[in-house]
Amino acid sequence: MTRQALRKVSLAAAAAIILGIPVFVTSPTYLHILVLLFFYAYLTTSWNLVGGFAGVLPLGHSTFIGIGAYTSTILYLQYGISPWIGMIVGGFLATIVGVLIGLPTFKLRGAYFALATIAFAEAVRVIVENTDYLGPFKLNGPRGLQIPPLNVGFGNLLFNTKQPYYYIVVLMLFGVIALTYLVSRSKLGYYLNAGGEEPEAAMALGVNVARCKLMAMAMSSFLTALAGTFYAQFTLFIHPKSIISLDLSFEIAFIALIGGRGSIVGPLLGALLLRPVSDFSRIYLGAVLPGLHLIIFGIILILVMMFQPRGLHQPLARLYNWLIDRLIVERTVKLSPTKE
Amino acid sequence: MLYVLEDLINGILMGSIYGLTALGLTVIFGVLKVINFAHGSMLMVGMYLAYWSVKLTGVHPYLAMIVVVPVMFLFGFYLQDIVIKPIFKAERSVREPITVIIVTTGVWYILDNLTLLVFGPQYRNLPNNPLAGKMLEIGGLMLSVPKLWGFFLAIAVACALYWFLQKTRLGRAIRATSLDRDAASLMGIKQFRIYNITVGIGAALAGLAGVALVPFFNIFPTVGVLFDIKGFIIVVLGGLGSIWGALLGGIIVGVIESVGPQFMAATWTEAIVYGLFLVFLFVKPSGLFGVKYDW
Repeated sequence: MTRQALRKVSLAAAAAIILGIPVFVTSPTYLHILVLLFFYAYLTTSWNLVGGFAGVLPLGHSTFIGIGAYTSTILYLQYGISPWIGMIVGGFLATIVGVLIGLPTFKLRGAYFALATIAFAEAVRVIVENTDYLGPFKLNGPRGLQIPPLNVGFGNLLFNTKQPYYYIVVLMLFGVIALTYLVSRSKLGYYLNAGGEEPEAAMALGVNVARCKLMAMAMSSFLTALAGTFYAQFTLFIHPKSIISLDLSFEIAFIALIGGRGSIVGPLLGALLLRPVSDFSRIYLGAVLPGLHLIIFGIILILVMMFQPRGLHQPLARLYNWLIDRLIVERTVKLSPTKE
Repeated sequence: MLYVLEDLINGILMGSIYGLTALGLTVIFGVLKVINFAHGSMLMVGMYLAYWSVKLTGVHPYLAMIVVVPVMFLFGFYLQDIVIKPIFKAERSVREPITVIIVTTGVWYILDNLTLLVFGPQYRNLPNNPLAGKMLEIGGLMLSVPKLWGFFLAIAVACALYWFLQKTRLGRAIRATSLDRDAASLMGIKQFRIYNITVGIGAALAGLAGVALVPFFNIFPTVGVLFDIKGFIIVVLGGLGSIWGALLGGIIVGVIESVGPQFMAATWTEAIVYGLFLVFLFVKPSGLFGVKYDW
């Protein structure tokens, strides 16, 4: 078996295990946690398209989650339009917003872009929190919107059990990982990489760095908004403090950065490794030692940046390659006596 | 009309204190080219330091400066020396290392939540505060005394900082490093020593702002976040890296927040401040006093 084939087998095995989990895990509580885990993995992977490849630091991605969630929910509640259509509409709205933020700031130094995304997200939160009706659309201010769990079915993206949500979020995650892979292999991916590492050199070679970053931003904001719709349909309740919060934006960015920005599976690894740590420390220590999980998070953040500035992805990838090498070596050793 | 004038003056007073909170941010950005996300947390630590020195010794709130400034300077100095420097060295070729921004955020999380863990989430006020709610009446205008002192402090600190950067040898070295760190190193300036001192100064300025706030502001673990986001807006309005820009940006934000509620719901003034920030990014991204070519 060649190295390439072994990689493919292990990838297929991982996908099969992820798809097979709901067969064994039937407890709604654990499935809920798993859905949120993959939801985070989806968000960090979408974030990575712009935050990782383009070499900038967007810190306001919760805006796009909010846009996605509010668009589909308003369309569904007020006009009875299926959330699947609302999802796409929200995605395009988020794309427009993302491009509008990027347009003036991608030509400036990175700090401006980071600050602009923060300010924009906060502005959106303040506006949503203080608006009951935006024209004909009911935002319901700080009280948020509730989706009644009626008319359950695939068309309305509403289900009584957790399994369908699980499969939807997993398929979304697979989709975004495949897209990331394609982008990283495309011309755009190489342009982005060049623009992120050495903007002057890339521009001198005729790469329109700002335009490539805008394209990455457009993709990332579109995908993030889709997750917003999913979240609204999954929790059936959205309110500005929880989904357009700075905390969420920062969490997405930092999980992706700890995992490894610019790599394909790094942000996914970050979510799979860090979310359980933060969940469990919050559940078991939150009452006794408030804020401990964020202290742990901060310490991990600093240590990773000090010793693995490219994220945890690198040592793990080395370990993975080493394991694959070992497997191949063992096979050849086993084969040699039979040949004799 | 008198109310508007009163709000305007109070806005200028509060705004100059906002400017003071943003000074450290702008100084650190000017030299290290890094946004210090831990700035608000440093301000919060400064407030707690001031609170405890007043509570334990019973001195006048502003005398807490004697403790706060050196402690915060050392904190910033060693934070840069121990935590940030290795990362700068690892990413020497990168002009504006994102990793350093991330590390400052880690420091923010740790400081805020450590404070929460140790002192609890409750709001605190200075005990037997001689300035509590004190007002000064000038021709029918009511002005808050602690804010007036804060205003004078902000102006004095900005002038002192300007003098230090323009006239002293160390100040010139700092400015040289901020303009071109490689050229400065070639002239025999020790880059990382300057970085240590700069972050020290930034932290000390955050501490000073904390002292100015303590007599009239609640003290709680996440108080820094309020000033963090405001600080970012202020430094972009004024121009990243500019001292007078930070002061003026602070005053603009303070006036909008103070006069705005006369004309609209108070929460909308917040949205206007963010809107102004975004307009500035589109129209004049270098801010009011920003240097055109770089920051």
